[in-house]
Amino acid sequence: MKKSRGMGLYCAGVFGFLYLPLAVMFVFSFNDARRNVVWKGFTLKWYSALFQNTDMMAAMLTSVELALSAAAIAAVIGMLASYAMVKHKPFRGRSAYDALLSVPLMMPEVALGVGILTFLVRAGYELDFFALACSHALICLPYTIAAVRARLISLQESSLEDAAMDLGATEWQAFVKVTLPLARPAIISGALLSFTVSFQDFVTSFFVAGIGIVTMPIKIYSMIKFGVSPEINALSVCLLLATFTLIALNAAFAVRPDEASRH
Amino acid sequence: MSRALSWLLGGRTPLATHLLLAPASFWLLFLLVIPALGLIVLSFATNGPYGTIVWEFGFHNYARAFDPKYLPVLLRTFAFAAATTVLCLLIGYPVAYYLSFRAGRWRNIMLVGLMVPFWSSCLVAYYSWMIVLGKEGLINANLIRFGFLSEPIGFLYTPFAILLGLVYFYLPFAVLPLYASLDKVPRSVVEAAYDLGAGRWTAFRKVTLPLSLPGVVAACLLTFIPCLGDFLTVEILGGPRYYLLGNLISNQFMMAQDWPFGSALTSLLLAGLVGGLWLYQRWEKA
Repeated sequence: MKKSRGMGLYCAGVFGFLYLPLAVMFVFSFNDARRNVVWKGFTLKWYSALFQNTDMMAAMLTSVELALSAAAIAAVIGMLASYAMVKHKPFRGRSAYDALLSVPLMMPEVALGVGILTFLVRAGYELDFFALACSHALICLPYTIAAVRARLISLQESSLEDAAMDLGATEWQAFVKVTLPLARPAIISGALLSFTVSFQDFVTSFFVAGIGIVTMPIKIYSMIKFGVSPEINALSVCLLLATFTLIALNAAFAVRPDEASRH
Repeated sequence: MSRALSWLLGGRTPLATHLLLAPASFWLLFLLVIPALGLIVLSFATNGPYGTIVWEFGFHNYARAFDPKYLPVLLRTFAFAAATTVLCLLIGYPVAYYLSFRAGRWRNIMLVGLMVPFWSSCLVAYYSWMIVLGKEGLINANLIRFGFLSEPIGFLYTPFAILLGLVYFYLPFAVLPLYASLDKVPRSVVEAAYDLGAGRWTAFRKVTLPLSLPGVVAACLLTFIPCLGDFLTVEILGGPRYYLLGNLISNQFMMAQDWPFGSALTSLLLAGLVGGLWLYQRWEKA
């Protein structure tokens, strides 16, 4: 297994490349220097400055509200659509519809952003929080659907719903008592991914957020563009930690393929 | 009430199916299909004074996209996207191979480890690359301190920095589909190749690589197309000298207020997306 060790080292190198910027950001957010690169000693002052900066805290709050709304919208829409796609008879044009559902994943976000911007402005709609949340829900939708659908398909194979209905439950009862509880981990996992997508999304927000809606990524962007202050490191680390937590939570909720058949 | 819901969930008529799909359809229609069609219509209109739109139709916006002033941007976008795709494949394939064939108990940890940069904000990562690569950045400062350099090297705002940023961001997009298809390669077939006397390299070249081709194609698609529309990388690591299509589009909408021209550029981007998907489908059927 000599060869395998060489490849292992190579992989470690690639992972090093992927994690280098994240580590640098983390370390320098504790650096007691205005200019970034020289290590002057450990400090928490950028974090305390961050938490006293009302602008930044407001941006953080906006991002959380936005991500919660987008994840909730996407979870509901995605659950209904997945259910219809998995449980119902195939309808005409289903494969085309299926392809369309995954387009938001492939579509360059710039095209999505300017498209929605143009449409809303031409339609005379004032760009507001609601429009932004709906746009974010669109980019989150493929993730929710992928998660929930895989789960529903594996539940289908275990035919627990059929059993419930054979025992006299109506479709609605079977849904509430059997399908929904069993699909819950997938719904939560999809919602966590949606939250992550929306929380760190910059491009769509850049185009669709009207004046006055400042999300955390937009705040970071404008700080990078117009004068860097070291608080930005602290803010970035907060964003990274949020992502870490969400991914870890998602890993905890994600259903392993072998687990579905155990029920 | 519960009977109505049961009817909806039972799905014995197409109407019930379409009602359940209605919210998703509504979203797709109003935030994806109509905006895209709107952009295409707008791309044939004319820009009036002060960013107004004059409804005189023609191909002038497209002609303008290909005139010598903007053609280099299109070509550069294509070149960067192609280079990024090739680099991501070359760097990512061994990682995916290791994950699938050799990682053993490390596999799950490594997969989650790949997901973290994938899900992290690229804004944060790019900003951090600025700290690393800048004239007073980590690399330059250390090289000077240890006497390897007398003058800092300007890594930032060069094609190198852009390519680095693009490869950094799109690498997980390439590794994950590669891994997914390598994982589907039946181990027994590879074993059979060994039993029939193939060496490691021959078995890889004749068996594993051809069987993982769907993943290679998917990885190409997933890096190349988003790369064509990339906007943030150049905005942060590149600067105006190296504007790509995404930056040009953004400028037309946010600065120059020439929406018809911006729409034409976006339509070209969408044409790239549709063309890529079409090629993929044809390849899949063949």
